[in-house]
Amino acid sequence: MQYDNITGSYNSNALLTGNEAIASGAHKAGVYIAVGYPGTPSSEILPFLAKFKSAIVNWSINEKTALEIAVGASIGFKRSMFTTKHVGLNVASDPLMTLAITGVRGGLVIVTADDPGMHSSQNEQDNRLYAKFAKIPMLEPSDSEECLNFTAAAFDISEKLDTPVILRTTTRISHSRSIVSQPDIPGAAVIFKPNASYSEHLNKPYIKDIGKFVMAPVYAKKRHKAAIKRLEYLTDFSNNSGINKIEYGSPDFGIVTSGISYQYAKEIAPSASFLKLSFSYPVPNILIKEFVKNIKNVVIIEELEPFIQNEISSLGINLKGKEYFPRDGELNPDMVERGLGEAGGFIAYESRSHSKNNKPGFDDPGNILETLQPRLPALCSGCPHTAVFYALKKLRVPVMGDIGCYTLGALPPLNAMDTCISMGLAFGAAQGLSLTKSSSKKTVGIMGDSTFFHSGITSLIDAKYNNISFTAIILDNATTAMTGGQDHPGTGRNLSLNQSVSNKIDIKKIIEGIGINEIYTIDPYDYNKTFKILKKALESENLNVVITNRPCVLYPKKLDCGKKFEVLKGCPGCDLCMQIGCPSILTSSFFNPSGNKRIPFIDASCTGCSICKDICIFNFIDEIKK
Amino acid sequence: MDDLIQNILICGIGGQGVVLAGKIVSLAAFESGLDIKTSEVHGMSQRGGSVSTHIRYGKKIFSPLIPENRATAILSFDIYETARYIRSFANEKTIIISSNQGKIPSWTSKNKNDKIEENGNGFIDADAVAGLLKANFKFLNLIDDKKIAEDLGNIKVSNIILIGILSGFTGIKKEIWLKAIEKNIPQKTADLNIKAFLTGRNYYENKIF
Repeated sequence: MQYDNITGSYNSNALLTGNEAIASGAHKAGVYIAVGYPGTPSSEILPFLAKFKSAIVNWSINEKTALEIAVGASIGFKRSMFTTKHVGLNVASDPLMTLAITGVRGGLVIVTADDPGMHSSQNEQDNRLYAKFAKIPMLEPSDSEECLNFTAAAFDISEKLDTPVILRTTTRISHSRSIVSQPDIPGAAVIFKPNASYSEHLNKPYIKDIGKFVMAPVYAKKRHKAAIKRLEYLTDFSNNSGINKIEYGSPDFGIVTSGISYQYAKEIAPSASFLKLSFSYPVPNILIKEFVKNIKNVVIIEELEPFIQNEISSLGINLKGKEYFPRDGELNPDMVERGLGEAGGFIAYESRSHSKNNKPGFDDPGNILETLQPRLPALCSGCPHTAVFYALKKLRVPVMGDIGCYTLGALPPLNAMDTCISMGLAFGAAQGLSLTKSSSKKTVGIMGDSTFFHSGITSLIDAKYNNISFTAIILDNATTAMTGGQDHPGTGRNLSLNQSVSNKIDIKKIIEGIGINEIYTIDPYDYNKTFKILKKALESENLNVVITNRPCVLYPKKLDCGKKFEVLKGCPGCDLCMQIGCPSILTSSFFNPSGNKRIPFIDASCTGCSICKDICIFNFIDEIKK
Repeated sequence: MDDLIQNILICGIGGQGVVLAGKIVSLAAFESGLDIKTSEVHGMSQRGGSVSTHIRYGKKIFSPLIPENRATAILSFDIYETARYIRSFANEKTIIISSNQGKIPSWTSKNKNDKIEENGNGFIDADAVAGLLKANFKFLNLIDDKKIAEDLGNIKVSNIILIGILSGFTGIKKEIWLKAIEKNIPQKTADLNIKAFLTGRNYYENKIF
């Protein structure tokens, strides 16, 4: 019954995250190519799938390219999967919207991991709307077991109904662990072996079909009609496949729900009747009608947009949902309990009703909590981005920023980045802002290496093409750091063992190729020089590029300079060193000589980057001599 | 802890090993044959932000998130984070196993005009937090984990010491805990980690706190 950790035995259960289970499901379905661009909370799917060594698994330069690779594989009669975070699907939405009408050959599954609550995202868009927008089916798993089964099923559905399929998770599905029965686990003797459902038409040699894949108007008009017709088949499937289920409980109170909200609702109102929408687009019209006919009071529980609510209302059935549950942020069991309380008439959560009115039995620690400072995320101790942001702060220039670890350069105390909107925005926005002449200072555009490959190259070409002057900074730390250190074209490595020889693309050569001649390479551990070069670049009237050359201190492996620094006796407590936001520099319980300020101290987590020594103009920071 | 659903909240600062500790505790519960769900935090908050992992196990688990004030135990690697999480998750019976030390961020958005306020406003002594905890929780275990870990030879095993203490409060067998630890750490550090676990376990058994 239990998963044996030593043998990694097949015939056992395992405790998997949703992302691991999705990878296992794709493996089970015999996926041939799986691609994506890293993005929380989707990033762990491809690395886990790569461990099976059964498919071609690679990071792509961006989501659009990734989906296009998946499309090509499908045209070549192979099963393919594309993984992305919610906002990444925007990048891939161009191929998606037309793929939706061409349909597929090999099964094509799009995994979108949404982030309600914005744990690590710039917005909380609800990607269920993409399914409706593109007229394609969507599956929403509620736990890891369903992640595996639905992923495997999605490939069959894709082939059977000639459509790409969206598998939509949220952070609490992707990053929750739950028990999966008898999954394939990488590391065991896994041999590439497509399962029985792997359609026979696959593995055919390539043939042309311009009526299906050339979406010139003459063919696209026909395919759009076909996609509309397909919605009817999909609705039949939604009603009859058994994936959408009614669980009859109380005849007085029912809940329509999907995804993680199902789990919260089961926790709070286990005796209610449930219509669990796992195949949540198109909605099962017959099942919904049956459910509301048999159950007296029905409420819809869903995170973010009133997606299910609007679909049901378009059937002419008016149910309440968003009246009790917020349209922003993520839900949790307590919000579901409060919302159901407002809705009225539901059966209370039995196991906790006994202590319902009890307050937590301790004094409200309000005073201390009010004083307790919020712990914002920060750049790491020794992060090579730190010096650049500190210098930009001193230079007081407008900084068009981007998405990555360096977004943290916008937070206090650095406060040195002025935008974080979309991935690759920085150089385009820098062009636009500098054209407005609304600042007397030269504009800076700043992004990381992975972001530059993702979508910075095009906007830098555009700037050169249009002869726009700003300073482009590329923080090259040789990894995709924020999402956990994934490879990209600049690292020269990739996931798939089938492609152990990846080519390393040189950022500087790309920029030279664009025709930009003023390029500076700097070592950000030398703060004074970093400041000087940035100042020079900003005084120049050219479009120029500054590239930093220190690797990330966390990925691919933890780095430490092997030195430690300390605050010397006599420090007046001027706080300059604290302005870089280094997590190793803390407030001590000691006061300065004049007794009016606590002085800082540097703790053992110091990695010896020496930036604080450069910044302490009074020379009260020095290396600890052994 | 009784036979009902166990809700364990692990909290600390991003980078302190909260996710790893969550993996160990959840594997131990899983190996003992119970239904289990966990919820982790990845991405941005892992860069030095406040992070938590929820672990729930029992006969049948639905929600991976612990309901308000329903934590059976809170395992915390930073005393300030303990203070942060008790309001939402603890009740008077919650077993609290916490480091007696913590890092206070030297910077906060509360500070005005890009200047740290005079007199170190916002600085709370760890002892003040300890006092608050002592006054309110019967099952409080404030541990000098960093010191004990240093004595064992590596400050990094402080998490495992706290897990050792937690293990005593669960019905899960010692052998299962050891297996769960070995599964999640590099082979070459196995001896040290086992020693750290047993030191924590010994604390529990001898009630040294």
